[in-house]
Amino acid sequence: MNRFSIKELEIGHEESFVFELDERKVKQFLMITNDINPLHNDLEFAREKGYSEKVVYGMLTASALSTLAGVYLPGEKSLIHSVEVNFVKPVFLSRCPLTVVGKVTEKDDRFSRITIKFTIIDKMDEKVSRGTMKIGFLE
Amino acid sequence: MTREEIYKALDEVFEEVFDDESIHVTDTTTAEDIEDWDSLEHINLVVAIENRFGIKFNMSEVTSMKNVGEMVDIILERQ
Repeated sequence: MNRFSIKELEIGHEESFVFELDERKVKQFLMITNDINPLHNDLEFAREKGYSEKVVYGMLTASALSTLAGVYLPGEKSLIHSVEVNFVKPVFLSRCPLTVVGKVTEKDDRFSRITIKFTIIDKMDEKVSRGTMKIGFLE
Repeated sequence: MTREEIYKALDEVFEEVFDDESIHVTDTTTAEDIEDWDSLEHINLVVAIENRFGIKFNMSEVTSMKNVGEMVDIILERQ
């Protein structure tokens, strides 16, 4: 786990990691959220809607942002203030694992807060989501 | 900018930050008057105001400003 303080991070600092997803994790997400939407759980339904396979929950892929902040950037001292995420392409299990990349784009020492721009990319190098996070630091 | 022009610009910043087009700030407006003006939104607000006016508040200013009027005083000084 990283333990960056705000002083140790400069604009442009980048961290990335691989985020594994499989059918078991999709089912666990269903159990936690009770989101029974068939697009994520019914292959026939997904095919009827024009997808080759079930679509992975966008919010499951976004859960990787918790890891991005809490483990990598900045890591242990992370306090997530806000997350803005755009789901630009569907995620399929056949195109996993995903790669999560975060980069510091703003830094405010007065408020001990950084802004990170992130992208999540699938195995075929397609960007599936992108957005920004504002993250504070534990004292 | 005149004080009046600053208030007009501030209204736009507040409306955007708090996503509420009915906000109109005055000299005496404080966080007590705007429901969503909490500690996190205060940071967003200060940064948005700095970007709008091209200025930077120092930490003592950020913590000592008691109302919007005092914020406008600082913006007027910095022009």
